[in-house]
Amino acid sequence: MQETKTSVVEVRGLTKIFRDFWRRPKVKAVDGLDIDIQRGEIFGLLGPNGSGKSTTIKILLGLLHPTSGAVTVLGRSPRDVEMKKDIGYLPEESYLYNYLSPRETLDFYGKLFDLDRRTLKERTGQLLDMVGLTHAADRLVGEFSKGMARRIGLAQALINDPELIILDEPTSGLDPIGCRQVKDLMVTLAKRGKTILLSSHLLADVEDVCDRVAILYNGKLRAWGSVNELLQKQDSVRLTLPLQPPDRMKEILALVREKIGASPEVDHPSMNLEQFFLEVVEKADKAATYQSGAARSEGVAKYLSHD
Amino acid sequence: MILRVRQFLTLAGLTAVEAIRQPICLLLTTACVILTGLTPLLLLHQFGEDGRLVRDSALAFHFIFGLFIAGYAACSSLNREMRSGTASAVLSKPVGREVFFISKFAGIAAVVCAFSMCAALSTLLAERVAEKFLEARMTWITDVHTGRMLIAAPFAAFLAAGIVNYATRRPFESTAFGLLLVSLLAVLFIAGSFDEFGRIAPFDTRVQWRIVPASLLITMALVVLSAIALGLSVRLGTVPTLTILFVILIAGLVSDYVLGRLSSTSNVAIVMYRLIPNWQNFWVPEALVNGGTIPLRYLLNAGIYGAAYSAGVLCLGVIAFRNTEMK
Repeated sequence: MQETKTSVVEVRGLTKIFRDFWRRPKVKAVDGLDIDIQRGEIFGLLGPNGSGKSTTIKILLGLLHPTSGAVTVLGRSPRDVEMKKDIGYLPEESYLYNYLSPRETLDFYGKLFDLDRRTLKERTGQLLDMVGLTHAADRLVGEFSKGMARRIGLAQALINDPELIILDEPTSGLDPIGCRQVKDLMVTLAKRGKTILLSSHLLADVEDVCDRVAILYNGKLRAWGSVNELLQKQDSVRLTLPLQPPDRMKEILALVREKIGASPEVDHPSMNLEQFFLEVVEKADKAATYQSGAARSEGVAKYLSHD
Repeated sequence: MILRVRQFLTLAGLTAVEAIRQPICLLLTTACVILTGLTPLLLLHQFGEDGRLVRDSALAFHFIFGLFIAGYAACSSLNREMRSGTASAVLSKPVGREVFFISKFAGIAAVVCAFSMCAALSTLLAERVAEKFLEARMTWITDVHTGRMLIAAPFAAFLAAGIVNYATRRPFESTAFGLLLVSLLAVLFIAGSFDEFGRIAPFDTRVQWRIVPASLLITMALVVLSAIALGLSVRLGTVPTLTILFVILIAGLVSDYVLGRLSSTSNVAIVMYRLIPNWQNFWVPEALVNGGTIPLRYLLNAGIYGAAYSAGVLCLGVIAFRNTEMK
């Protein structure tokens, strides 16, 4: 039997106009936007700076009020405070209290969800471990680098084990290891049935993890669909072979030319720079004895990884 | 309902901790304590009563420094949070805007009360120092031992906070703030074990406890000012909020004299007289002259007036905040 997908986020004809002091229209940040996000998918909201991504997210969270259009999140209005119990939000900038430590920060956000003391303590420990900041758990967040603050921002977004996770530029300021971990985390969470809305202008991040994307420009939806559909070249095919001796390679190319009547392109597949970097760091990490910044973590927090 | 109460307490606690951990809060409180402690040494004149000028000056320090703390704490906890985005991060959780706003007020009021305790203790001790006593050899002396301890208290608190910070990495500012209060209480206790001539004597604080209601009234005024500052900071930044607070403070202090007289002839004056908080209700050092006291009934009435005014301002603030967009 085919599984019926349910919409977690429904946006119809959403328009947001910011006004000046005299209530005159100043800028149309979002213009007639329609999107649907299904349960369990990773949905990418793509667009250049000022295209309306963050505005859309803030409307979904009830932080901004739409000028027109209808929005439901988890079947409720964004103004419904109760709905936010099932949402985790990582803002574009890591909006943290500078005079709190990471442990105090997670404790604070956990209490807003009324988590009991034991659960809160367990989750705080697991999340600090996951984002590689256990060793810096009692330093003030105000002393952190942007990347370390970003990691705490991500941890606070997951403290309530949310159904819908909204990540606004989650890899901004992170090193390549952190980026990889965030992307792996998103995939793991999606496998557990969590829905993720990822807003980014880093195309590689979106391409790596998203099931579907919507591309915004000047507040309007310009393109949307599954990543494979949008990116796949339907009129060509790639064949990857183990390395062959030169003579056999010539034979193969001759055979292909004979069958298709055109010369195929031949090159050596290469790993991308991210993979290469991760290998180098992994080797260095095994030899390291002291850590001042964010440490490499050993995967996803337990409570986020089991069904 | 229980969740809301817990959220309220969590947010109020965070607001208080964030405010106390800001260096400006510690600096203002320390400045108030040291200036109050120095007042007996600097003021050589008196208005027919030992300690009156010191007492009046100390209460004025309490009011002015408290105004800055209330204004700054309100702006930094709401307007700055709205601009920096921490308010958005909190409001993206299941937290109602009214809970957020009122808890901010509660946190700031807690900080104002902690500051007021430091200021009130300093006032009590400074007034004790300023009183002159006739010794057996017929020379007038003052209680310099208490004065020295009062001046030393902030430095002792800073030193202890530095050691605690070194040993445990606890934030210096909040530790120093707490230890300042503890050190002032310690001075009160130690000074109570000596008489005015520095000799060990049966325990008696030897301070004018009748000053406490006057300090309490100033604390109420500061709480009302906190509510006004918080309401203003929904839309305004720190400088405009502090400027308007000063205008309201001055207008409220002269409202009896200016608006009170005009209110018999002008409707505008009547409205203004009712709208502007009357600070004269909270500023009553004259009542302490020549051993005078402030009646409990007066305290209760002033408390009801302050609570009603604060509630009104907070209601308007909540309405404004509910419709404010978080950018």
